[in-house]
Amino acid sequence: MIPFIRHLKLSVGALCGLALCVNGAQVPQHINIKQLSTTVEDVVVPLPNEIFGALNKLGAVNWKEHVRSDKGPNFTERPRIALLLGTVIADGFIAVQAEDAAAVKDIGQRVMTLAKGIGVGNSITPHAKAIVDAADKRKWENVRQELDRTQNSVQQAMNEVHDEKLSQLVSLGGWLRGTEVLTSVVKEHFSADGAELLHQPDLLSYFQTRLQAMPEFNLPIIRQIHDALVEVKPLIDVGDRRIPAESVKKVNEITTRLGHGIVTRD
Amino acid sequence: MNLFAKVLFRTSSLLLALMAVQPAIFASVDDAQSFALQAAEPYVKQGFQVREDYWGGDLGSGEKKAVRQQLFKGNEYWFWLGTEVDRAKVSVHVYDSDGKLAEESDGWEKGHFAAAHVIPKATGSYFIIVSVEESPEERTHWALVYGFR
Repeated sequence: MIPFIRHLKLSVGALCGLALCVNGAQVPQHINIKQLSTTVEDVVVPLPNEIFGALNKLGAVNWKEHVRSDKGPNFTERPRIALLLGTVIADGFIAVQAEDAAAVKDIGQRVMTLAKGIGVGNSITPHAKAIVDAADKRKWENVRQELDRTQNSVQQAMNEVHDEKLSQLVSLGGWLRGTEVLTSVVKEHFSADGAELLHQPDLLSYFQTRLQAMPEFNLPIIRQIHDALVEVKPLIDVGDRRIPAESVKKVNEITTRLGHGIVTRD
Repeated sequence: MNLFAKVLFRTSSLLLALMAVQPAIFASVDDAQSFALQAAEPYVKQGFQVREDYWGGDLGSGEKKAVRQQLFKGNEYWFWLGTEVDRAKVSVHVYDSDGKLAEESDGWEKGHFAAAHVIPKATGSYFIIVSVEESPEERTHWALVYGFR
């Protein structure tokens, strides 16, 4: 009996402690978002595998048909390299989904070359090596983590030398490739939940604002992306309404066209 | 010699004073990030992928900061907030784009950490509100990381 009482006392104590640390204060059920406008940080650009993860839960996806590991041309313009780098990192996440070790290794090498081309090769050498090693051992979770670290290191290195605009182009390249694959998958097997994954109006506005602040990058592909985002915005900014199959198809056409433009010499 | 002793005394005093306030001077958002990652650690074993990227800064007691984040229906998210300041009380809560509380009830706050759990009902923008509710410091570093599965 005594051990039971002691046990009971301990349990009550533990429960009280838990109650205190689990949301001790009352949390407002509703806040006025408009009042936050001056303190809001920039929208965070999701990694492509965040979208792919959600897509996977809607049904089996044949990732192998989306794997792309061709070397492509070498560019000299830094904005073009940055866009391509973001695209290639996204291709890495696709190759991980497809568990294609050969493609992952090719992509690891390609990332290294592009990072060197943009002057941030040193910061990602260990990650590129880790990608290849993990792909050899088929440790997909490690590859995913290293791809994330690669993108983060590249962007940090760019930010350190005040190349924030190039860093944003890396994110944009990744987002465009992710959206191209997302729409391609949803177009093939349409579902309302799949189409809803395209509902990213704030992210689109974020990229539009960033592109507008890059007048010095006077390149055809940048202008094409800028114009294309204007086309895409009404297709995905639908409020509470559903995104129809035609819109998914249209966004896929646009992002496929841009994707081709990013990997192809003018 | 007298002058030398004076200089030595002053330098030593300055060094001692610096050592005493060292944690406050040299503590940074990176330290806060270490705490946030520490909070995330147990969740990695449950299959959550923790993003390398993080947000951070400093806030005074009672101040809030909002981070806008795109979340996808179908994924499950945890947000972990950390601070290196002892006896600070921090919190993190998640609201949808209409300003409605969107988190699960198993969020928690303890010591250097706070966490919020979200299973989005819809794909779209969400607001992650971080707050320093109490702190012995004038400014308190914070860092926010998130993971998904």
